[in-house]
Amino acid sequence: VCESVWCTPEEPGRGSTGDGAPFPPRPARLAVSGGASDAPGAPRGPLHAFAHRFVGADGAWARPFDNLILAFIALSLLSVGLEAALELPAWALRPLQVAETVVVLVFSFEYVLRLIDAERKIAFVFSFYGIVDLLAIAPYFLAGVDARYLRALRVLRMLRVLKLQRRVLEATVVERTRELAEKHAALVATQATLNAELEAARALQLAILPATFPAREGCEGAARMIPATTMGGDFYDFIELADGRIGLVMADVSGKGVAAAFFMAVARTNLRERALRHSDPGACLADVNGALCAQNPMDLFVTVFYAILDPGNGRLCYANGGHNRPYVRRASGGIEVLGGAGGLALGVLPGEPFPTHAFALSEGDRLVLYTDGVTEAFNRGAEAYGDERLRAELNVGPDGAPQALLERICASVASFADGAAQSDDITLAVLSWRRGQVEVEAIRARTGAQTERFA
Amino acid sequence: MNVGIENSAQVTVVLPQGRLDFAASPGFQAELEQAIADGTRQGVIVDCAALDYVSSAGLRAFLVAAKAAQRAGRYFGLCNLKPGVREVFDLSGFSRIMPVHADRVAALAALASAL
Repeated sequence: VCESVWCTPEEPGRGSTGDGAPFPPRPARLAVSGGASDAPGAPRGPLHAFAHRFVGADGAWARPFDNLILAFIALSLLSVGLEAALELPAWALRPLQVAETVVVLVFSFEYVLRLIDAERKIAFVFSFYGIVDLLAIAPYFLAGVDARYLRALRVLRMLRVLKLQRRVLEATVVERTRELAEKHAALVATQATLNAELEAARALQLAILPATFPAREGCEGAARMIPATTMGGDFYDFIELADGRIGLVMADVSGKGVAAAFFMAVARTNLRERALRHSDPGACLADVNGALCAQNPMDLFVTVFYAILDPGNGRLCYANGGHNRPYVRRASGGIEVLGGAGGLALGVLPGEPFPTHAFALSEGDRLVLYTDGVTEAFNRGAEAYGDERLRAELNVGPDGAPQALLERICASVASFADGAAQSDDITLAVLSWRRGQVEVEAIRARTGAQTERFA
Repeated sequence: MNVGIENSAQVTVVLPQGRLDFAASPGFQAELEQAIADGTRQGVIVDCAALDYVSSAGLRAFLVAAKAAQRAGRYFGLCNLKPGVREVFDLSGFSRIMPVHADRVAALAALASAL
């Protein structure tokens, strides 16, 4: 009985390739701190707690106190304006002086509170608003000392208008913070929808990759596709042909992501359908190429290696449309390349020829099909895994099941990449062939008979 | 990736540097299309002397450019491919559908005789 091992494709970034490109990318945290909603830390004592209540960004009385200051700024600007603009009689000056005193006392009170609340006092004093606040009150005290020379400093009281700016700025910050939070929420919602759509598409794509290798005596296979992003452009396939042979496909669509995945689905469907009509791989690829060229508005293309295996005798015939040449690891130890003239990648030019070549597998040979995501897996030093490493891995004994060889190569690539982001889809298929059990027994019977004759 | 541009009277020489992969190919393709759309010159030559790697997405940029050049009646060719890049062009069959020259002198000569 034939044993089939066929593993399902892996999630990107999980498992043997190590750290793939994370998808979806985590939404960058929007910077909404630094505004009015940012608490400047825990109270550092009763005095600070008191001050913080009035002037802290999240202080309990900060809003009413702020409005009070605003009212006093308006009052102060009015009085300064009146005093400067009009020649006021002596009886009118008195209330203005009282108002000025009250305003300055309130501003001084506010200044002291802000100084207490500030975590870095010196920085506050020399900050723009620290200086504005100080200049708004300083002339009053200085003028009280010597009115004659320092009266000119009263002009500085006009700077109180700048105190308004703090208020406007803070309101702007609150508004912007709210807008950012709204936009962020909308982005998160959009991203969640998009992710759900992509996840559904990914599940659909992975579902069309074959989950099991066809049951054939003597044939065993393992395959894996590890997309670099949510959706891949690589695919593998096997197709049970009417005459009992098996079509083996390894393909790579240019690029990656959603566009490549769409083209992959078109290519895979065309190939699968047309494979049933052709017994010759080259003729099949030519047919598929014509179909893809006719429906390729984005100038995408796909490289395809297509082989047909006769499980009865191990004969392979194959054609290559611009794809990496597969390897055959001989049971005897050598490595051979399934070479010969190839055709162009499919979807580029209609009417291209795809020559068919033949190869005879021997008992216990391993056929290794792969995409360039394997050989062009890069490490952090921008060095590629390369053909040499792959060949070396194929040469490591002892021979196990295809699944074991597949795991070993994937592990080798992952360990080489060492956590560097996966730049391309990685796809690999390993097949082993030996004669069907019945035939093996027949040969054994024959050789047994010969042994007896020699004995 | 960095893409250098050298303009002479007849030709635009495009010089891609480093890795032409999925991320770099849209920008590179835009440079090629812009160079091809430039009606004052007869063609575009991509000098790949500093090109270290081409992915399949990068190949597509060359394909789109070659087709655009064909439509526009301008010459489009490559030269100075490093062995690894040359292998990608050979394997995919692309070196058969667009002219690939050993060096810039050969590319310029081919452009001159093509027109």
